[in-house]
Amino acid sequence: MVERPERLERRGFLRLVTAVPIVAAAAAFLSPLLRLLKPNTRPFEVLYEPTVHDVPVGEVTVAATLDEVARPWDFKYFVFTQRYPQYTPEGLRAANVPAVVIRLPYKIRLPWDWARTIGKTPQLQESDIIVFSRICPHLGCIYNYVPNWQEVTAGYGGYVPPPPRRHALMACPCHLSIYDPADPQQPGRVLSGPAPRPPRTFLYEIRGNQIVVTDVEPGGIA
Amino acid sequence: MGLVADWLRERKEHLDLFDETRTAQQGNPLYLLGPMIYFFWLVTVISGVILMLWYEPTTTGAYDSVRRIQEEIPLGWLVRGVHKYAADGIFLGIILRIYRMYFAGEYKRPGELGWMLFFLGLVLMMISGVTGYLLIWNQRSFWAAKTILTVPVYLDELTAPLSRWLGYNLNFGSMIAYVFLGGSAIGQATITRFYSIHFGISLVLLVLIEFYFYRTRRKRLNMSLFPMALFLAMLVFISHPDVLPAELGRRADPNRTPLPILSDWYFLALYQYVKYTPPLWAGLGPGLLIGIGMLVPFLDRSRSRHPLDRPFFLVLGIWALFLFLAFTTLILWNIAVIEREPPLVLLSTAIVMGLGFLWHLRRRRRQLRAAAVPPAARPTARAPERPAPAPSVLAGQSGEPA
Repeated sequence: MVERPERLERRGFLRLVTAVPIVAAAAAFLSPLLRLLKPNTRPFEVLYEPTVHDVPVGEVTVAATLDEVARPWDFKYFVFTQRYPQYTPEGLRAANVPAVVIRLPYKIRLPWDWARTIGKTPQLQESDIIVFSRICPHLGCIYNYVPNWQEVTAGYGGYVPPPPRRHALMACPCHLSIYDPADPQQPGRVLSGPAPRPPRTFLYEIRGNQIVVTDVEPGGIA
Repeated sequence: MGLVADWLRERKEHLDLFDETRTAQQGNPLYLLGPMIYFFWLVTVISGVILMLWYEPTTTGAYDSVRRIQEEIPLGWLVRGVHKYAADGIFLGIILRIYRMYFAGEYKRPGELGWMLFFLGLVLMMISGVTGYLLIWNQRSFWAAKTILTVPVYLDELTAPLSRWLGYNLNFGSMIAYVFLGGSAIGQATITRFYSIHFGISLVLLVLIEFYFYRTRRKRLNMSLFPMALFLAMLVFISHPDVLPAELGRRADPNRTPLPILSDWYFLALYQYVKYTPPLWAGLGPGLLIGIGMLVPFLDRSRSRHPLDRPFFLVLGIWALFLFLAFTTLILWNIAVIEREPPLVLLSTAIVMGLGFLWHLRRRRRQLRAAAVPPAARPTARAPERPAPAPSVLAGQSGEPA
């Protein structure tokens, strides 16, 4: 009777000693499963950023000519093409990033602080032309540029902008986020809705008569 | 370890997934919900396999093949309609059954495991619904898939402090999204993966359920022929092109989100909720709701199964149902002002739940007072309300004070 607890302890210890390698072996056998699901993970790569190989690469595009957005609140939709890895036998695939060029009625400081993180130096500091990605920074729908703010009130959930912001706005059909493209402090400021941040912007250069888009602010799902 | 095994064994013995032990209550439609779920499930799987004969899971061909099934292939409309509406029937059955279990207190011992499994079933059903929906490749399904798979990206915010501390980005949330999408955007890989998940969930669960019936030796469909024939007739009737054929919508256009845009009916309330909250909570909120819902048997410690004996949980259930319907109505009218409605919802919820809690306390105090007074001295007016088996239940669980 005295030895009984000791015997149980030994049994528990032996169980532990066998269980640890079995669990470790099972984990080792199952770990390639993640590579099966996400083939651009390198074999035997343990410490890495899981999404580092998924960064899309964009193509330089002419967004618009200066004549097309000559007057204040003129805008033009265009499509920026990105290539990203897709987990199919074909591999890379092109995805479109719908975007919009807007001529503002006044000059603002361009929100291009992100350019340094991808190693670029912006050509301009301030301008009255701004280029936004139309992918909603909330959950990835495509938002619209709405020239008349009353249409925003009528069609996007009933938001009424305060008098200084009664001009063209940007609004998303999915979850009714509303953005002000012309906010001097923060272009694309969220006026209403669940969006956590303003839409992403494009880096552009003026080449002669053309607005040439080179890069899009990283982040988000295309 | 032994304790957990004992707990599980007792709950497993009392598992009653499709109401198959309620053979005496076939006349009560509430107890028809279990066999109804199983019946609609079988119909969905069979019609789904027939649809696979004609469906083409590619980004370029999916929409056209579904249109062909609906409009050109003889009786294609029937198979597709039956598949869609039988799946809706499973959904309705699971939701109603969860409500029945809730208000009838069926989640109380030994029903805890069954309750939790039904929540798991609801989650799997939602995944199956989303993955199946994308296969049509229309506007509604495309944007539903896109928004739902952007939600996990915000989970990166939760691991951000750990990432900073470790010095490299963990990004598990994004990884979840990429694994489901098969890349960083919706494309051919997404449709292939969704096809596999959509079929796989039903198939694997059906095998597990078959194993369950094999072990318990119970009747699979505790249902007479009449309701079965009636349900089938309803499915055929509603699928008819002149009644309410399964919707086709417009072909998915990745460059344009239509306004207004809605989801399938069972997601409407959740969709309205997503408009109101910051995006991290769009993922955390439903997760917590389902997690806490699963834990209800352990939160509600009252012994009686009667809803009036646990007023807080009664009020909670009714309020949840009310919000579900109210949110669904608001989204159908396309109303969502983030400055106006969320405070109203929070305030009214706090008031209603506070009142429910007070009611609960009052009820509990009365019960305690009634238990303290010996039965002979109890006022006669309250005597009929006390159910007779209560003392025996008390005697059975001697571990807890009344």
